[in-house]
Amino acid sequence: MQTSSSLPQTDNRGKRPFFRITEPRRRALYGYLFILPTVLFFVMFIAFPFFRAIGISMTEWAGYDEPRFIGLNNFINMMGNRIFWIAMKNTFIFMLATTILQTIIPMLVAVLINAGWRGEVAYRTILFLPNIISLVVTGLLWRMIYDGNFGPLNNTLIALGLTGLKHQWLAEPGTVLPAIIVVSLWASLGFYMVIFFAGLQSIPPELYEVASIDGANTLQKFAHITVPMLWPVTTVVMIINIIGGIKVFDVVYVMTTGGPNHASEVLGTYLYVTAFGATGGGSPSMGYASAVGVVILILAMIGTAIQLRVTGRKTDVY
Amino acid sequence: MSIKAQTPDQIRNTIAPKKLRKKYTFGHRISRATGYTILFLLTLSSIFPLVWMILMSLKDRSETYSGNFLPSKVTLSAYQFVFQNLDITRYLWNSVKITLITVAVVVFLATLSGYAFARINFPGRSLIFLILLSTLMLPGAVLIIPLFLQLSDLNLIDTHLGLILAYIGAGLPFSMFLMRSFFQTLPSELVDAGRIDGASEFGIFWNIMLPLARPGIATITIFQFMGTWNEFIFAATFIHDPLTRPLQPSLFAMVGRYSTNWPALTAALTISILPIVIVYVLMQKQFVAGLTTGAIKG
Repeated sequence: MQTSSSLPQTDNRGKRPFFRITEPRRRALYGYLFILPTVLFFVMFIAFPFFRAIGISMTEWAGYDEPRFIGLNNFINMMGNRIFWIAMKNTFIFMLATTILQTIIPMLVAVLINAGWRGEVAYRTILFLPNIISLVVTGLLWRMIYDGNFGPLNNTLIALGLTGLKHQWLAEPGTVLPAIIVVSLWASLGFYMVIFFAGLQSIPPELYEVASIDGANTLQKFAHITVPMLWPVTTVVMIINIIGGIKVFDVVYVMTTGGPNHASEVLGTYLYVTAFGATGGGSPSMGYASAVGVVILILAMIGTAIQLRVTGRKTDVY
Repeated sequence: MSIKAQTPDQIRNTIAPKKLRKKYTFGHRISRATGYTILFLLTLSSIFPLVWMILMSLKDRSETYSGNFLPSKVTLSAYQFVFQNLDITRYLWNSVKITLITVAVVVFLATLSGYAFARINFPGRSLIFLILLSTLMLPGAVLIIPLFLQLSDLNLIDTHLGLILAYIGAGLPFSMFLMRSFFQTLPSELVDAGRIDGASEFGIFWNIMLPLARPGIATITIFQFMGTWNEFIFAATFIHDPLTRPLQPSLFAMVGRYSTNWPALTAALTISILPIVIVYVLMQKQFVAGLTTGAIKG
């Protein structure tokens, strides 16, 4: 048993002199050993593919032939591509709509539930439930719900006598994007609600007490205490939404693959279909698709930069 | 005393003197009733699609397009069809296998490296950590093409191993980040005490820190489990062979062939979510914590 402190000292336990290794060094060696597998996985499956993606984005390549270096031509072609701009516009609309809806509605729901009701836990349990269901299941389920001929949504509208509101929800260019946004809201409401809920618990109840004594009504308390006190949480929720909106893929791909006629095309589906030719239209183009990926990356980086600026925190927030 | 959050009503009742406590006026009752109505409608809109799905799965195929909400005759024939004709047991098994291996490896390696980044000093620690961290915002879309090529080069397309490796690589940085934060909340004196007692570095990690890290491990386990079980695009891209394919892409593929057989489709969807919903209802608290911790703390 060593009695001295763990400050630098030599470890003499049966080691040959020229192999003598100081305690901090021995410890550092273990440090490297502990992180080695993680770093190896990182290099193999993140870092290397990442640089490869940048490289591929500067080539013309169908995936089976030899890649041909073409510099920034993919990006130049992209700027003149009509479908790219449709995807860009739709991604932006999706991002904007989900950021607004998926911030305001979960906040109101969290505040409502937090007001103390019988069966509060049950409400929270059920509202969070869609969040644990995969986006494939969510997307396929809502495809049936939105079905123009037999879906329960149109059936309900007919039953309510609102036949005029009937739509081929996912087949009409005008309704497809809003329909997907509603699904996104349905799937994520509980998630953001829980985040707001955590934020609400950190507001000192005394604030409400004092306001009550001063005669403030519920609405005034909400506007002058709840909203300002929730602001840090709100920015976090908005940022998650913005970055999630830029990256959106699964739900759109499962529900429409970007259709009808690109009306719901987003950058994610555009990249995927270009790379792997899901619609069978034209030969796959790995180079061009990687360039789209680089654009998504740059947009996500801008989102993250805004996050750091707005929240004024370092990435390491603990 | 439990530390469960108190509702404003409870707080009002404990803090406010009796005189200040609100009487239940007529207006108050109206607002309570409105609140309950809104809550009921919200909850209904959350659960309705799932209820519709389950009811549809209990219908006979002939009733698919009747527009009835409730089945006129409850039948399990759709489930029978799914198990006999759609090979869903195989997909479930593939998903279970892939998910369990991925979660086990990620949790072990993330805990090990998270501990090292939090409690062992070595040159370059901050730099390596920052590089790992910087990839957290990397969109999966950027990686999907090169990862596909990478796995092709390694002859790992259409294999579980390839998919598992990609999942581990993608999942490790975030879980490592969460574990590092968790270890930083544990007192470092424990580590020093272990060192003074002459325990090996791995011994300190395994015998002293790991038992204390259980809540953190629970969090990353649930997070990683849900992420892997529900993952779609890696699985759909890296595995095309129907025999090897896990659940999510298989469900997606079913739509092409059985798009008109709604009872069978909804039965398959119901089967796919049932295990997770059961675990969720039983371990609700841990689930919610596991899935939102990253967002709240990040």
